[in-house]
Amino acid sequence: MINFTEIKKQLLICIFVIFVFAILPFFLTQRYLLGEVIVFFFWAMVAMNWNLLMGHAGVFSLAQMLFFAIGAYGVAMAITFLGVSIWVAIPLAVLTSAIVALIIGLACLRLTGAYVALLTYAIAETVHVLIITDTECFTLIRNNCQQLFGGYAGFSRFDDFGFRPLLKRNWILGNYYAVLFAFALTIIIIIMIIHGRLGLAFRAIRDNVGYASSRGIDRKKYQVAAFACSAFLTGLAGAMYAGHFRFAGPSLFDFSTLMFVLSMVVVGGIGSTWGPLIGAGVMMTVVELSKGMGDARNLLLGIALVIFVVVLPKGLAGLAGSILRRFRKRVEAKT
Amino acid sequence: MDVLIQIIITGITLGSMYALASVGLSLIFGTLGMFNMAHGLFMTLGAYAAYSAAISLKIPLLLGIFIAMGAGALVAIVTHLAVVRFMLGNSEFGMNVLVATAGIGIILEDLLLKIYGGYPYPQVLKVEGLVKIANVAITYQAIIICLVALLLISSIAFLLMKTRLGRGIRATAQNRDAAMLMGVKSDTVFLQVMALAGMLAGVAGLMISTQATLSPQMGGDPLLKAFVICVVAGLGNVWGAGLCAFGLAIFEATIGFYIGVRFGFPAMLLLVIAVLIWRPQGLFGQEKVVRL
Repeated sequence: MINFTEIKKQLLICIFVIFVFAILPFFLTQRYLLGEVIVFFFWAMVAMNWNLLMGHAGVFSLAQMLFFAIGAYGVAMAITFLGVSIWVAIPLAVLTSAIVALIIGLACLRLTGAYVALLTYAIAETVHVLIITDTECFTLIRNNCQQLFGGYAGFSRFDDFGFRPLLKRNWILGNYYAVLFAFALTIIIIIMIIHGRLGLAFRAIRDNVGYASSRGIDRKKYQVAAFACSAFLTGLAGAMYAGHFRFAGPSLFDFSTLMFVLSMVVVGGIGSTWGPLIGAGVMMTVVELSKGMGDARNLLLGIALVIFVVVLPKGLAGLAGSILRRFRKRVEAKT
Repeated sequence: MDVLIQIIITGITLGSMYALASVGLSLIFGTLGMFNMAHGLFMTLGAYAAYSAAISLKIPLLLGIFIAMGAGALVAIVTHLAVVRFMLGNSEFGMNVLVATAGIGIILEDLLLKIYGGYPYPQVLKVEGLVKIANVAITYQAIIICLVALLLISSIAFLLMKTRLGRGIRATAQNRDAAMLMGVKSDTVFLQVMALAGMLAGVAGLMISTQATLSPQMGGDPLLKAFVICVVAGLGNVWGAGLCAFGLAIFEATIGFYIGVRFGFPAMLLLVIAVLIWRPQGLFGQEKVVRL
C-alpha cells in the first residue's frame, strides 16, 4: 500500500525547500555566501543519495565519492579531450557514472553487509591510487603534459557553464540556478523513490531480507537498482561540481572528504528523509566556524561521527521525531 | 631463476606484514563482528611510538617491537572501552561500528599530523645490511620481518588453540550466547581480543615503516590490503587470513615485477572480486544457512 498523503506531504515540503532556495539570492547578495550555498547543494545532493542507498536500501557502500568523481572527471575529460560543450558533457558523465555503478553493483552486490562496504571502499581507493600514480602523458595541452586521467594535479581551467560572458558580473547567479535545478531534480526524484513503491521494497529488504524475498522482492535486483540510481544522481552532483569549480582532481577521493559527507548523513540521521539535508547544513556550518580556530576540521568530523553513532544513532532527524512524539503525547494527555 | 627467488622473497616479506595486519583484523571481526576501520591507525600509532622511543631512548629494534605492541594494544583497549563497548548489542551494530571506528581513525590521524607534522620520517629502528643468495640480495630487515611475523603468528596460534584464554575467544567467536551461558565473560574476551589485535597491528606498523617511511597516512594502504585479504579469506577466518596474506602478497609481487608496481594492488583486487563471484562466502568461509 502506498500512502498517498505522505508522498504528497513530502513533495510539498520539497517544493517549499526549493522555493526558499530559489528566492534566497534576492536576500543574500554576498558572492562568498552564495558560493557557500552552492557548495551546500553539492554536498546535500551526495548526502541524500548516500542516505537513499545506505539508510533505505541497506547497501553500505563506501564508493559514493567515486561516483561523484566520475561525474566530475567525466565532464572535465569530455571538455578537455573531446572539446564538446558542457551541456553535452554533463549527460555523458552522468550516464557513465550510472553504467560504472551498474557494473560495480552487479559484481559487489552478490555479497552483503560489511563485505560490500569493504569491496566498494577498495575499488574507490584503487581508482584513486591509479589516478595519482599515472605519469604517462596522454596529450600536450598548452605545452603541458596532460595525463589521461589528470594525474596528481587533476583537470582545471576548462570551460564552465558559460555564464561569465552572458551575465557579466552576476555570473554566479547563473551557476546558482543551474546547480539549484540539479539539486531540485535530485531531491524530487529521491522523495518519489523513498516514499513510493521502490522505497517500500528497499526498506523491506533492509529490514528483513528473508521475508522480503519470500514476498517476491529480489534482493540483488533491487539493491543494484538502488546502487545505480544513487550513482546516477551522485554523478549529476559531481558533473555540476566540475562545471562550477572548473576543477576535477584526486582530492575528491580523499578519505576526509568521504568522512565529511558520511558525517552529514550520520549527523542528520541515517534512514530519514530530510536528515542528510539538515546534516549537510549543520556540518558545513560547524566546519566553517572551526576555520577560525585553526585546522580542526578532521578532528571535528571524527568526534561528530563517534558521538552521534554512539549517543544518537538516528541523528538529528531521529531526535526531532522523538521530541515531536513526546510533545504530542503530552498534548494528548492534557486534553 | 634469480627473478623467481626475488619475487618469492619480496612476496614473503610483504606477506608477513599483511598477515600481521590481517590476522588481527580477522580476529576482531570473528569475535566482535565488527569491522575495524581504525586498524590502520593502530599500525601507524605503533610505528610512531617505536620511533619516538628510539629517538629519545636509543633502544634496539627488539625493544622497539615491544613498545609498538604496547602502543597498539593500549589504543585498541581505549577504543573498546571508550566507544565500542557502548554499541555492542545495538541492532545496527555492524554499520554503526564501522562509522565509529572510521571516526576514531580520522581523529587519531589528525592528532598524529598535529604532533609529528605531515612530513614523512625514515624509521630509525632498522637493521642495515644484506646477504646474497644466488645473486639475489636479501636485506637483514626482510629476514627480521619474516621471523617476527612467524614468531608472533605462531604464538597467536598457540594462544588460540592451546590455552584457556584462547578457548574462551574461540567459543565466543562460534556462538556468543552459548559461550556466555557456559560462563565465558564476553566483555573480558572482547577486551583481550582487542588488545591482541592491537598488539599485532602495532608490530605490523613498525615493520611496514621500516620498508617505507613514517607518515600519518601510512596505515591506509596496508589496511586496504588487510581488508581485501580478510574478505577473500572469509570474514572472521583467522587461519584463512594468514594464508591468503601470503598468497596474495606473492601474486602482488609477481604483477608488480612483470607489469608495474602501481598495478599490483588493482590486479589483486580484480582477482579477489573474481574469487568472490565464484565463492561469495570467501575461500575459507563457510556458507551460512539462515533460518527465518
